[in-house]
Amino acid sequence: MTDIAFGRTTLPAHQAATLRRAIRFEWITIGFLVVAVTLVGLVLGNSQAMKAAWAEDLLSLAPPIAFLVATRIIRRPHTPKWPYGYHRSTGVAHLVAGVALAAMGTFLIIDSGAGLFTADHPSIGSVELFGSVFWLGWLMIGAMVITGVPPVFLGRVKMKLAEDLHDKVLYADADMNKADWMTALGSIIGVTGIGLGLWWLDAVAALFISFTILSDGVKNMRSAIRDLMDARATTFDNARPDPVIAKVEEYLTSLDWVAEAGARIRDQGHVLHVECFVVPVDGREPSVEVLTRARIAAVELDWRLQDLVIVPVAELPEEVAAASPR
Amino acid sequence: MRRWIVSLLQAICIGALALTVGCGVSIPADPDDTLARVTGSKLRVGVSPNPPWTELGESAPRGTEVDLVKAFAQTLDAQIEWVVGGEESLITALEHGELHLVIGGLTADTPWVEKVAITKPYAETRDSRGERQKLVMAAPPGENAYLLALERFLLAQDLR
Repeated sequence: MTDIAFGRTTLPAHQAATLRRAIRFEWITIGFLVVAVTLVGLVLGNSQAMKAAWAEDLLSLAPPIAFLVATRIIRRPHTPKWPYGYHRSTGVAHLVAGVALAAMGTFLIIDSGAGLFTADHPSIGSVELFGSVFWLGWLMIGAMVITGVPPVFLGRVKMKLAEDLHDKVLYADADMNKADWMTALGSIIGVTGIGLGLWWLDAVAALFISFTILSDGVKNMRSAIRDLMDARATTFDNARPDPVIAKVEEYLTSLDWVAEAGARIRDQGHVLHVECFVVPVDGREPSVEVLTRARIAAVELDWRLQDLVIVPVAELPEEVAAASPR
Repeated sequence: MRRWIVSLLQAICIGALALTVGCGVSIPADPDDTLARVTGSKLRVGVSPNPPWTELGESAPRGTEVDLVKAFAQTLDAQIEWVVGGEESLITALEHGELHLVIGGLTADTPWVEKVAITKPYAETRDSRGERQKLVMAAPPGENAYLLALERFLLAQDLR
């Protein structure tokens, strides 16, 4: 088995195995979604809620595709033309997926809202299957029950993988999958509403689904833009600052020739780009050898650290000093 | 936030279920009770002339679709009131619940699908250009119990 590398960062065995699993699960997701989109598309009818659910299934294809494309591109080595490597392709893919979701969510909110406003009464007629004629709504509900459950399991598995791999596209995808049952339930409620003669329930359910699509889109866009804007590195779920920042600073401060140290870390997609500022004790200039040793040791702290520079300075830059615990 | 949504959805589900069981509602139901109101009463049918499916006779319309509608009205024990007019004005009346059915050799490609309920094709024919056309009828939008009854009747005629 050959080593997998993201640019010049060779993945540790555990992460390499996780990546292979993640790729497999994203292919399973795509396979499932193609079946779901086809199945739901066949019974779509006139229900706005079903249309919204179908659009969501279709758009759910974007994050897995973004993940699969990005994990290929980021393996390319650094070149003189691309001195930081190709890591950012993850962020770009993430942003594209987020924009697509937000745009579709907005469109569906307008579409469903207009339907509610003009009091469109959705018509759902009969379907002939295996020689008997019955109401198409039953088939819609059946399709949503079938397609609503598997994503929840896929989401749970992928969430764990996203944490191991520090992959925010995978995280966003898993998060969306986990909430997919609400979309299915929403459209079931909409169709049931039509069945009961409550025509407005369909449009209300469609609005609910559209808002979840928009909110997914905005969440993804924010997360992607955050990292593309070089915000402080965070954990895979953006919940808190990445503990690796403190780890690097602690290590550098522990060196006997260092008086003060701070690090500026940005997330490149999976791996981190690190600038460490150190104030030497008594202003004595460290030798190249001392700096190199410190660099090699710092890189060993976490698999995501590779692109790391240490700069001796007279005084820590303000934004780094303010963030460092002292 | 999520927990809040879940409990709301649960409430709607339970409410819908209680409504179904409690009131003995059959699914699908008509928001405007078209099926119940037509049964044993009056069926207002819009006819747009389009031979051989619909033609204006001496006293009453005739044609293959007129015959079909007469048989359908019989299953509902309803008297037919014919309203003759142009397709657009009939469809508008249908959309606003002033008619219960519009016929006139409509096909599955009809643009009226945006405004009213179009039945499943009940028969196939060829137009003057030799292209295959699927014949349909138009019903009020969203009156799904009535639509289902009409489609069941049309499919049972075995004209396809």
